[in-house]
Amino acid sequence: MKRIMKLDGRLKLVILAGCISLFFAQHPAYSEEVWRADFDAACAQSNEAMALSTPELKKLIEQCDRLQKIIETQEETVRKVFLKRLQMCRNLYQFVLEAKMQEQKPK
Amino acid sequence: MRRLFFVVPILLVAVGLAWAQGGMKKKKPLPYEFGGVTINNFSQQEGMPPVEFDHWVHRQYYTCRLCHVDIGFGMTAGSTKIRSTDNMKGYFCGTCHNGKMEHGGKKIFDSCAKGYSREEYNRCIKCHTLERSAAKENEFYQFSKKMPGDRFGNGVNWEIAEEKGLIKPIDYLEGVSSKKANMKVTSDFAIKSKVEGMPDIIFSHKKHTVWNGCALCHPDIFIGVKKGTSRYSMVELFEGKYCGVCHDKVAFPQTDCQRCHTKQTQG
Repeated sequence: MKRIMKLDGRLKLVILAGCISLFFAQHPAYSEEVWRADFDAACAQSNEAMALSTPELKKLIEQCDRLQKIIETQEETVRKVFLKRLQMCRNLYQFVLEAKMQEQKPK
Repeated sequence: MRRLFFVVPILLVAVGLAWAQGGMKKKKPLPYEFGGVTINNFSQQEGMPPVEFDHWVHRQYYTCRLCHVDIGFGMTAGSTKIRSTDNMKGYFCGTCHNGKMEHGGKKIFDSCAKGYSREEYNRCIKCHTLERSAAKENEFYQFSKKMPGDRFGNGVNWEIAEEKGLIKPIDYLEGVSSKKANMKVTSDFAIKSKVEGMPDIIFSHKKHTVWNGCALCHPDIFIGVKKGTSRYSMVELFEGKYCGVCHDKVAFPQTDCQRCHTKQTQG
Protein backbone atom coordinates (compact mmCIF):
# COMPACT_ATOMS: atom_id res chain seq x y z
CA MET A 1 0.00 0.00 0.00
CA LYS A 2 2.85 2.29 1.00
CA ARG A 3 4.54 1.51 -2.35
CA ILE A 4 1.39 2.37 -4.23
CA MET A 5 1.19 5.66 -2.30
CA LYS A 6 4.84 6.36 -3.23
CA LEU A 7 4.13 5.64 -6.87
CA ASP A 8 1.08 7.80 -6.70
CA GLY A 9 3.25 10.61 -5.40
CA ARG A 10 5.67 10.16 -8.31
CA LEU A 11 2.75 10.04 -10.71
CA LYS A 12 1.48 13.31 -9.28
CA LEU A 13 4.89 14.84 -9.83
CA VAL A 14 5.01 13.58 -13.42
CA ILE A 15 1.53 14.95 -14.11
CA LEU A 16 2.49 18.29 -12.54
CA ALA A 17 5.70 18.48 -14.59
CA GLY A 18 3.72 17.61 -17.72
CA CYS A 19 1.20 20.34 -17.00
CA ILE A 20 3.95 22.92 -16.43
CA SER A 21 5.78 22.01 -19.65
CA LEU A 22 2.48 22.03 -21.56
CA PHE A 23 1.73 25.48 -20.18
CA PHE A 24 5.12 26.82 -21.29
CA ALA A 25 4.85 25.11 -24.67
CA GLN A 26 1.50 26.78 -25.28
CA HIS A 27 2.46 30.08 -23.73
CA PRO A 28 3.95 31.82 -26.82
CA ALA A 29 0.94 30.91 -28.97
CA TYR A 30 -1.40 32.09 -26.26
CA SER A 31 0.43 35.34 -25.73
CA GLU A 32 0.59 35.96 -29.48
CA GLU A 33 -3.18 35.65 -29.64
CA VAL A 34 -3.47 38.10 -26.79
CA TRP A 35 -1.14 40.74 -28.22
CA ARG A 36 -2.70 40.38 -31.69
CA ALA A 37 -6.10 41.14 -30.17
CA ASP A 38 -4.59 44.13 -28.35
CA PHE A 39 -2.90 45.24 -31.56
CA ASP A 40 -6.18 45.05 -33.50
CA ALA A 41 -7.95 46.98 -30.77
CA ALA A 42 -5.26 49.69 -30.73
CA CYS A 43 -5.12 50.14 -34.50
CA ALA A 44 -8.83 49.68 -35.21
CA GLN A 45 -9.51 53.30 -34.43
CA SER A 46 -7.05 54.79 -36.90
CA ASN A 47 -9.90 55.46 -39.36
CA GLU A 48 -11.69 57.64 -36.86
CA ALA A 49 -8.64 59.24 -35.27
CA MET A 50 -9.90 62.73 -36.08
CA ALA A 51 -13.09 62.11 -34.09
CA LEU A 52 -11.27 60.90 -30.95
CA SER A 53 -10.87 63.08 -27.88
CA THR A 54 -7.47 64.08 -26.45
CA PRO A 55 -7.68 61.56 -23.53
CA GLU A 56 -8.73 58.80 -25.94
CA LEU A 57 -5.77 59.54 -28.21
CA LYS A 58 -3.36 59.61 -25.25
CA LYS A 59 -4.70 56.26 -24.06
CA LEU A 60 -4.22 54.71 -27.51
CA ILE A 61 -0.65 56.05 -27.72
CA GLU A 62 0.13 54.48 -24.32
CA GLN A 63 -1.43 51.22 -25.54
CA CYS A 64 0.81 51.31 -28.62
CA ASP A 65 3.90 51.90 -26.47
CA ARG A 66 3.04 48.92 -24.28
CA LEU A 67 2.48 46.74 -27.35
CA GLN A 68 5.79 47.81 -28.85
CA LYS A 69 7.66 46.20 -25.94
CA ILE A 70 5.81 42.91 -26.46
CA ILE A 71 6.27 42.88 -30.25
CA GLU A 72 9.99 43.56 -29.82
CA THR A 73 10.29 40.15 -28.16
CA GLN A 74 8.72 38.28 -31.11
CA GLU A 75 10.59 36.50 -33.91
CA GLU A 76 12.26 38.54 -36.70
CA THR A 77 9.53 38.60 -39.37
CA VAL A 78 6.69 39.25 -36.93
CA ARG A 79 8.77 42.05 -35.44
CA LYS A 80 9.47 43.56 -38.87
CA VAL A 81 5.81 43.54 -39.94
CA PHE A 82 4.06 44.47 -36.73
CA LEU A 83 6.49 47.10 -35.47
CA LYS A 84 6.02 48.96 -38.74
CA ARG A 85 2.24 48.63 -38.58
CA LEU A 86 2.19 49.70 -34.95
CA GLN A 87 4.43 52.67 -35.67
CA MET A 88 2.03 53.84 -38.37
CA CYS A 89 -0.94 53.73 -35.96
CA ARG A 90 0.97 55.39 -33.17
CA ASN A 91 2.33 58.13 -35.42
CA LEU A 92 -1.16 58.87 -36.72
CA TYR A 93 -2.60 59.17 -33.19
CA GLN A 94 0.33 61.38 -32.17
CA PHE A 95 -0.17 63.51 -35.31
CA VAL A 96 -3.89 64.01 -34.61
CA LEU A 97 -3.18 64.69 -30.93
CA GLU A 98 -0.68 67.42 -31.83
CA ALA A 99 -3.18 68.91 -34.29
CA LYS A 100 -5.85 69.02 -31.61
CA MET A 101 -3.50 70.55 -29.05
CA GLN A 102 -2.49 73.24 -31.53
CA GLU A 103 -6.14 74.01 -32.18
CA GLN A 104 -6.77 74.37 -28.46
CA LYS A 105 -3.89 76.83 -28.00
CA PRO A 106 -5.13 80.40 -27.44
CA LYS A 107 -4.43 82.56 -30.49
CA MET B 1 48.63 77.50 -73.44
CA ARG B 2 50.10 75.31 -70.73
CA ARG B 3 47.22 76.26 -68.36
CA LEU B 4 44.74 75.29 -71.07
CA PHE B 5 46.35 71.89 -71.26
CA PHE B 6 45.31 71.26 -67.64
CA VAL B 7 41.97 73.08 -67.62
CA VAL B 8 40.42 71.34 -70.67
CA PRO B 9 40.83 67.74 -69.38
CA ILE B 10 39.52 68.77 -65.93
CA LEU B 11 36.48 70.39 -67.54
CA LEU B 12 35.89 67.30 -69.67
CA VAL B 13 36.02 65.03 -66.61
CA ALA B 14 33.64 67.32 -64.69
CA VAL B 15 31.13 67.42 -67.55
CA GLY B 16 31.41 63.64 -67.92
CA LEU B 17 30.66 63.14 -64.23
CA ALA B 18 27.69 65.50 -64.34
CA TRP B 19 26.38 63.62 -67.39
CA ALA B 20 26.75 60.30 -65.62
CA GLN B 21 24.90 61.56 -62.54
CA GLY B 22 21.64 62.16 -64.32
CA GLY B 23 22.45 64.51 -67.11
CA MET B 24 20.61 62.13 -69.43
CA LYS B 25 16.86 62.49 -69.73
CA LYS B 26 14.95 59.80 -67.84
CA LYS B 27 13.21 57.32 -70.12
CA LYS B 28 9.43 57.59 -69.97
CA PRO B 29 7.99 54.17 -69.05
CA LEU B 30 5.63 52.46 -71.46
CA PRO B 31 2.02 52.03 -70.25
CA TYR B 32 2.52 48.43 -69.10
CA GLU B 33 5.83 49.33 -67.41
CA PHE B 34 4.38 52.25 -65.43
CA GLY B 35 4.27 51.42 -61.73
CA GLY B 36 6.74 48.59 -62.13
CA VAL B 37 9.15 48.07 -59.23
CA THR B 38 12.36 46.06 -59.24
CA ILE B 39 13.03 44.37 -55.90
CA ASN B 40 16.57 43.15 -55.57
CA ASN B 41 17.66 43.20 -51.94
CA PHE B 42 18.66 39.55 -51.72
CA SER B 43 17.52 37.81 -54.94
CA GLN B 44 20.77 37.99 -56.91
CA GLN B 45 22.81 37.05 -53.85
CA GLU B 46 20.73 33.87 -53.75
CA GLY B 47 21.22 33.20 -57.46
CA MET B 48 17.75 34.33 -58.53
CA PRO B 49 16.86 37.17 -60.89
CA PRO B 50 15.35 40.24 -59.18
CA VAL B 51 11.60 40.45 -58.63
CA GLU B 52 9.74 42.59 -61.18
CA PHE B 53 6.61 43.71 -59.37
CA ASP B 54 3.75 45.17 -61.40
CA HIS B 55 1.43 47.48 -59.51
CA TRP B 56 -1.28 47.30 -62.20
CA VAL B 57 -1.79 43.57 -61.61
CA HIS B 58 -2.41 44.08 -57.92
CA ARG B 59 -4.19 47.43 -57.75
CA GLN B 60 -7.16 46.13 -59.73
CA TYR B 61 -7.92 43.79 -56.81
CA TYR B 62 -6.56 45.42 -53.67
CA THR B 63 -6.37 48.92 -52.17
CA CYS B 64 -2.96 50.56 -51.65
CA ARG B 65 -3.70 50.59 -47.92
CA LEU B 66 -4.17 46.84 -47.67
CA CYS B 67 -0.65 46.13 -48.95
CA HIS B 68 1.20 49.18 -47.64
CA VAL B 69 -0.39 49.29 -44.18
CA ASP B 70 -1.88 45.91 -43.27
CA ILE B 71 0.71 43.74 -45.01
CA GLY B 72 3.54 46.14 -44.32
CA PHE B 73 5.16 46.86 -47.69
CA GLY B 74 7.24 50.05 -47.66
CA MET B 75 6.53 52.97 -49.96
CA THR B 76 9.91 52.98 -51.70
CA ALA B 77 11.45 50.20 -53.74
CA GLY B 78 13.64 47.91 -51.68
CA SER B 79 12.81 49.55 -48.34
CA THR B 80 10.95 46.51 -46.97
CA LYS B 81 13.91 44.16 -47.41
CA ILE B 82 11.70 41.12 -47.97
CA ARG B 83 13.37 37.75 -47.57
CA SER B 84 12.09 34.50 -49.03
CA THR B 85 11.77 33.16 -45.47
CA ASP B 86 9.35 36.03 -44.66
CA ASN B 87 7.19 34.95 -47.60
CA MET B 88 7.39 31.31 -46.60
CA LYS B 89 6.18 32.22 -43.10
CA GLY B 90 3.11 33.85 -44.65
CA TYR B 91 4.10 37.50 -44.51
CA PHE B 92 4.56 40.13 -47.26
CA CYS B 93 4.02 38.39 -50.67
CA GLY B 94 3.33 35.16 -48.77
CA THR B 95 0.27 36.71 -47.12
CA CYS B 96 -1.69 35.93 -50.31
CA HIS B 97 0.81 33.95 -52.39
CA ASN B 98 0.67 30.90 -50.18
CA GLY B 99 -0.83 28.30 -52.49
CA LYS B 100 -3.97 28.23 -50.35
CA MET B 101 -5.69 31.58 -50.70
CA GLU B 102 -8.17 31.75 -53.55
CA HIS B 103 -8.99 34.59 -55.89
CA GLY B 104 -11.66 34.41 -58.58
CA GLY B 105 -12.06 30.68 -58.00
CA LYS B 106 -8.34 30.04 -58.52
CA LYS B 107 -5.65 29.32 -55.96
CA ILE B 108 -3.04 32.10 -55.75
CA PHE B 109 0.34 30.58 -56.50
CA ASP B 110 2.79 29.97 -53.68
CA SER B 111 5.57 32.58 -53.46
CA CYS B 112 8.82 31.03 -52.26
CA ALA B 113 10.17 27.61 -51.37
CA LYS B 114 13.37 26.17 -49.91
CA GLY B 115 13.79 23.84 -52.86
CA TYR B 116 12.13 23.48 -56.24
CA SER B 117 11.98 21.10 -59.16
CA ARG B 118 12.52 22.04 -62.81
CA GLU B 119 8.72 22.27 -63.25
CA GLU B 120 8.33 24.40 -60.15
CA TYR B 121 10.92 26.84 -61.48
CA ASN B 122 8.19 28.16 -63.80
CA ARG B 123 6.45 29.38 -60.67
CA CYS B 124 9.60 31.19 -59.47
CA ILE B 125 10.02 33.07 -62.73
CA LYS B 126 6.50 34.49 -62.48
CA CYS B 127 8.06 37.06 -60.13
CA HIS B 128 11.82 36.58 -60.51
CA THR B 129 11.94 37.58 -64.14
CA LEU B 130 15.00 38.37 -66.22
CA GLU B 131 13.00 40.40 -68.70
CA ARG B 132 9.40 41.45 -69.19
CA SER B 133 7.47 38.82 -71.06
CA ALA B 134 5.32 39.48 -74.12
CA ALA B 135 2.52 37.48 -72.48
CA LYS B 136 2.45 39.88 -69.52
CA GLU B 137 2.43 42.85 -71.87
CA ASN B 138 -0.49 41.33 -73.77
CA GLU B 139 -2.28 40.64 -70.48
CA PHE B 140 -1.96 44.33 -69.62
CA TYR B 141 -3.39 45.49 -72.95
CA GLN B 142 -6.30 43.04 -72.63
CA PHE B 143 -7.03 44.43 -69.18
CA SER B 144 -6.59 48.11 -70.07
CA LYS B 145 -8.93 47.77 -73.09
CA LYS B 146 -11.83 47.28 -70.66
CA MET B 147 -10.86 50.22 -68.46
CA PRO B 148 -11.55 53.95 -68.84
CA GLY B 149 -8.60 55.54 -70.56
CA ASP B 150 -6.21 58.19 -69.32
CA ARG B 151 -3.63 60.35 -71.06
CA PHE B 152 -0.66 59.52 -68.87
CA GLY B 153 0.77 56.81 -66.63
CA ASN B 154 -0.40 53.38 -67.71
CA GLY B 155 -3.29 54.86 -69.62
CA VAL B 156 -5.92 53.65 -67.14
CA ASN B 157 -8.06 56.07 -65.16
CA TRP B 158 -8.21 54.03 -61.97
CA GLU B 159 -10.38 56.57 -60.19
CA ILE B 160 -13.17 56.34 -62.79
CA ALA B 161 -12.71 52.56 -63.02
CA GLU B 162 -13.40 52.36 -59.28
CA GLU B 163 -16.33 54.81 -59.46
CA LYS B 164 -17.94 52.79 -62.27
CA GLY B 165 -17.46 49.55 -60.37
CA LEU B 166 -15.17 48.09 -63.03
CA ILE B 167 -12.71 47.33 -60.27
CA LYS B 168 -13.65 46.63 -56.66
CA PRO B 169 -10.43 46.76 -54.65
CA ILE B 170 -10.51 44.72 -51.45
CA ASP B 171 -9.53 46.62 -48.31
CA TYR B 172 -9.80 43.87 -45.71
CA LEU B 173 -8.12 40.50 -45.33
CA GLU B 174 -9.34 38.14 -42.64
CA GLY B 175 -6.59 37.36 -40.14
CA VAL B 176 -4.42 40.20 -41.44
CA SER B 177 -6.37 43.47 -41.28
CA SER B 178 -7.74 44.99 -38.09
CA LYS B 179 -11.50 45.54 -38.15
CA LYS B 180 -12.09 49.25 -38.49
CA ALA B 181 -15.03 51.57 -38.19
CA ASN B 182 -16.27 53.38 -41.28
CA MET B 183 -14.16 56.40 -42.01
CA LYS B 184 -15.47 59.89 -41.41
CA VAL B 185 -14.22 61.75 -44.44
CA THR B 186 -13.14 65.37 -44.12
CA SER B 187 -14.19 67.82 -46.78
CA ASP B 188 -12.15 68.87 -49.81
CA PHE B 189 -9.89 71.90 -49.50
CA ALA B 190 -7.99 74.21 -51.80
CA ILE B 191 -4.21 74.55 -51.98
CA LYS B 192 -3.15 77.88 -53.43
CA SER B 193 -1.16 77.70 -56.62
CA LYS B 194 2.11 79.63 -56.70
CA VAL B 195 2.07 80.26 -60.43
CA GLU B 196 -0.08 83.06 -61.76
CA GLY B 197 -2.83 81.79 -64.03
CA MET B 198 -2.53 78.22 -62.78
CA PRO B 199 -5.79 77.15 -61.05
CA ASP B 200 -5.55 76.22 -57.36
CA ILE B 201 -5.47 72.56 -56.36
CA ILE B 202 -8.64 71.04 -54.96
CA PHE B 203 -7.45 68.27 -52.70
CA SER B 204 -10.00 65.55 -52.08
CA HIS B 205 -9.53 63.55 -48.91
CA LYS B 206 -12.41 61.34 -50.04
CA LYS B 207 -10.67 60.24 -53.25
CA HIS B 208 -7.45 59.49 -51.40
CA THR B 209 -8.80 57.75 -48.31
CA VAL B 210 -10.76 55.24 -50.41
CA TRP B 211 -7.44 53.75 -51.50
CA ASN B 212 -5.09 54.79 -48.72
CA GLY B 213 -6.84 55.27 -45.38
CA CYS B 214 -5.23 57.88 -43.07
CA ALA B 215 -2.08 56.26 -41.67
CA LEU B 216 -0.43 55.74 -45.05
CA CYS B 217 -0.07 59.50 -45.64
CA HIS B 218 -0.10 60.99 -42.13
CA PRO B 219 2.37 61.80 -40.78
CA ASP B 220 4.98 59.92 -42.84
CA ILE B 221 4.33 61.73 -46.13
CA PHE B 222 2.42 64.81 -45.00
CA ILE B 223 3.76 65.91 -41.65
CA GLY B 224 2.16 69.36 -41.52
CA VAL B 225 -0.46 69.48 -38.81
CA LYS B 226 -2.22 72.73 -39.54
CA LYS B 227 -3.81 73.39 -42.93
CA GLY B 228 -1.83 75.93 -44.95
CA THR B 229 1.32 75.85 -42.81
CA SER B 230 3.30 73.45 -45.02
CA ARG B 231 4.70 74.80 -48.27
CA TYR B 232 5.07 72.41 -51.16
CA SER B 233 6.97 73.18 -54.33
CA MET B 234 6.66 71.38 -57.65
CA VAL B 235 10.43 70.80 -57.56
CA GLU B 236 10.05 68.82 -54.33
CA LEU B 237 7.08 66.94 -55.73
CA PHE B 238 9.03 65.95 -58.84
CA GLU B 239 11.88 64.85 -56.55
CA GLY B 240 9.47 62.27 -55.12
CA LYS B 241 8.40 64.06 -51.95
CA TYR B 242 4.81 64.61 -50.73
CA CYS B 243 2.38 63.87 -53.63
CA GLY B 244 5.41 62.62 -55.57
CA VAL B 245 5.70 59.57 -53.32
CA CYS B 246 2.86 57.99 -55.34
CA HIS B 247 2.18 60.30 -58.26
CA ASP B 248 4.71 59.73 -61.08
CA LYS B 249 5.57 56.29 -59.76
CA VAL B 250 2.27 54.43 -59.48
CA ALA B 251 -0.58 56.95 -59.41
CA PHE B 252 -1.07 59.26 -62.42
CA PRO B 253 1.97 61.44 -63.18
CA GLN B 254 2.26 65.02 -62.00
CA THR B 255 2.70 66.19 -65.58
CA ASP B 256 -1.08 65.75 -65.87
CA CYS B 257 -1.60 69.23 -64.35
CA GLN B 258 -5.36 69.38 -64.84
CA ARG B 259 -6.01 66.38 -62.63
CA CYS B 260 -5.02 68.37 -59.51
CA HIS B 261 -5.20 72.05 -60.48
CA THR B 262 -8.95 71.96 -60.86
CA LYS B 263 -10.31 75.03 -59.07
CA GLN B 264 -12.44 77.13 -61.38
CA THR B 265 -10.85 80.49 -62.08
CA GLN B 266 -12.96 83.61 -62.29
CA GLY B 267 -13.43 85.57 -65.47
